[in-house]
Amino acid sequence: MRDVSFEIARGSTFGLIGPNGAGKTTTMRMILGIFEPDGGSIAWDGRRIDGHVRRAFGYLPEERGLYSKMKVREQILYFGRLHGLRNPDVGKRADRWIEQLGLGQYRDLPCGELSKGNQQKVQVACAAVHEPQLLVLDEPFSGLDPVNADMLLATLNDMRARGTTLVLSSHQMWQLEQLCSAFCIITAGENRAQGTLAQLRADWPTRVIRVEPPSAAVRAVLERIPHARSLGEENGAIDVEVPAGIALPDLLRLLIDVDAITRFECIEPSLHDIYIHTIRGAA
Amino acid sequence: MNEFATVFAAELDRRIRSRFFVIGLIAGALGIAFFIEFPNYLAKSSVTKIVLVGDAQLTSRAQTLLKSDFDVIGTEPGTHVLSAAELRARNANGAVMITRKDDGLHLAVYAKDPGDILTVTLRRDLVELNLELATNSSANRVKSLIDIPVDLHVVGSKFGTAAQSEAARGIAYILLSLLYLLIVMNSQFVMTSVAEEKTSRIAELLVASVSSTALLAAKVCASIVLAIVQMLSWVAVALALGGQTGAMPAASAAALGGSGVSAFSLSGVTASDLIGFGIFFLLGYLQMSMLFAAIGALVNRTEDLGSLSFPVLLPALVGFIIAMSALALPDATYVHVTSFIPLLSPYVMFERMVVSSVPLGEIIVAVALNVLAIWGIAILAGKLYRVGMLLYGRSPSYRQVLKVLRSG
Repeated sequence: MRDVSFEIARGSTFGLIGPNGAGKTTTMRMILGIFEPDGGSIAWDGRRIDGHVRRAFGYLPEERGLYSKMKVREQILYFGRLHGLRNPDVGKRADRWIEQLGLGQYRDLPCGELSKGNQQKVQVACAAVHEPQLLVLDEPFSGLDPVNADMLLATLNDMRARGTTLVLSSHQMWQLEQLCSAFCIITAGENRAQGTLAQLRADWPTRVIRVEPPSAAVRAVLERIPHARSLGEENGAIDVEVPAGIALPDLLRLLIDVDAITRFECIEPSLHDIYIHTIRGAA
Repeated sequence: MNEFATVFAAELDRRIRSRFFVIGLIAGALGIAFFIEFPNYLAKSSVTKIVLVGDAQLTSRAQTLLKSDFDVIGTEPGTHVLSAAELRARNANGAVMITRKDDGLHLAVYAKDPGDILTVTLRRDLVELNLELATNSSANRVKSLIDIPVDLHVVGSKFGTAAQSEAARGIAYILLSLLYLLIVMNSQFVMTSVAEEKTSRIAELLVASVSSTALLAAKVCASIVLAIVQMLSWVAVALALGGQTGAMPAASAAALGGSGVSAFSLSGVTASDLIGFGIFFLLGYLQMSMLFAAIGALVNRTEDLGSLSFPVLLPALVGFIIAMSALALPDATYVHVTSFIPLLSPYVMFERMVVSSVPLGEIIVAVALNVLAIWGIAILAGKLYRVGMLLYGRSPSYRQVLKVLRSG
């Protein structure tokens, strides 16, 4: 890591994005106190992260595993106890997670006998049984089938609603866009862009305008826009990339004057677009 | 402290339920039983059965003199040479014909296997009778002449008699074997446990939940407790069987350099032996288990454990061999020097303590050097453990390992 700096608002969901080897996992490990940074500092609520603070954190690493011979409930209890929970509280919480994740019928089975999807549910329960203030998830959706991915998404939304701060990395941009309120894009151990999606979009230099019908008159108006670039026609509409600062109401008025416009849409850049653009810019 | 207790309890639970622990406990108990019972069985079954042939007066007297080394199953008057069939019928290894020749005795041995009846032993046992006949002296007179009085004056030894010294060697032999087994077996358990967590990919979740120091310390402590349980159960088996061996097997005797150790009795174990055993077990165990834990953290496949653990196992093996060879030479220079070298010292210094008089200062220096070594190993192994647990996909190169060791 060279230069990464960000703040996460309590109760928010923060997406850490970057290509493989960018330093996402290392950043997460430093947040959790597994690695000590050579320089700089990491704090939670203004406090340096020590063993006591770390107990209030939960972690779902990318490299996932369980004690294969340990039973499902015992495993969740063990991680609950490691985070300071005691009887009978730990038992109640473990049962609640077993119930919530639909693991009831497997509670007394060794984890090694479970399907991969169910093992991942147990891992989520182990990471979250102590209701952490901060839950760090490294590629939480990788390897999950759509049903289990939806289940995890719902679980994370539920935790966020209960006040847990989430930090997660994923290559599934649409999931992050759904879940996260702020992002940090890093490559080669450095910040490239950060902020809410609206802030990241505000820095985006162009917009795409979609207009129907793609008549010659419409095309003539669009071609007169300085720095405009046609992206082609599809499904009876024409897409044109225009500078971000263009006055859209004026443009719409000009188009209505030349033809009967049935569609006029300004398409905002997606997180995927912003990510690709940022990474290419960095390269 | 809570996280230590949680890991400690879980580790104990997992280990007690593991197949390796149960097998180790049973195999160890069986081994102890074998070690105690087998020499007795060997001593009983290896006595040579002979038939004495000759003049009744001579065979009667010879029977008395030979009974300590042979099982005389019968006597035959006259000079009848027993055939192989007759020997087999009597279940005898051979026959010894005793006749008078000139002034003394003449022996003729008839055996299918000449090695069964040692002529040296026959000569030694019957020398008294030979002298009686040659000198026409009474049995008592000859006996008193043979038994030359010897006053034993002990100089610089903690033992008052030769028997005590021999018994101490027997004790050192047994305790040393036990020490080596307990240290190596249990520290390898720590390695297996760490490797299991690494290869099952649960390590990262663990080090994110609990400090690696507490994790490693809890594993090592749980293993110490189980080693003590194991040791106590073995001692209980030994006590139940009487805790006393007969003649030591030939291989064991050879390992002792022919020092003449013939028996081991638990009643001969002194309090200082036990204290030394406890201290050097802890010192040796802590050194080995932490090194093995670091090895366990570096592997990505449990199959690699064997090759990677050999360099760590080597010093223990060398220490054990030096200590074994030193049972007969506890004051040799190489024994003296190696008894201060950490990793070797737990075996060699313990052996010196049991079989000779070691000045207290030397023991304190050896313990202090071992404690220093444990401190150094803890730092080194802790770094390797912390980093190794998170290295997946490939085994670290020696350069990476050195880089980790040099880092803060």
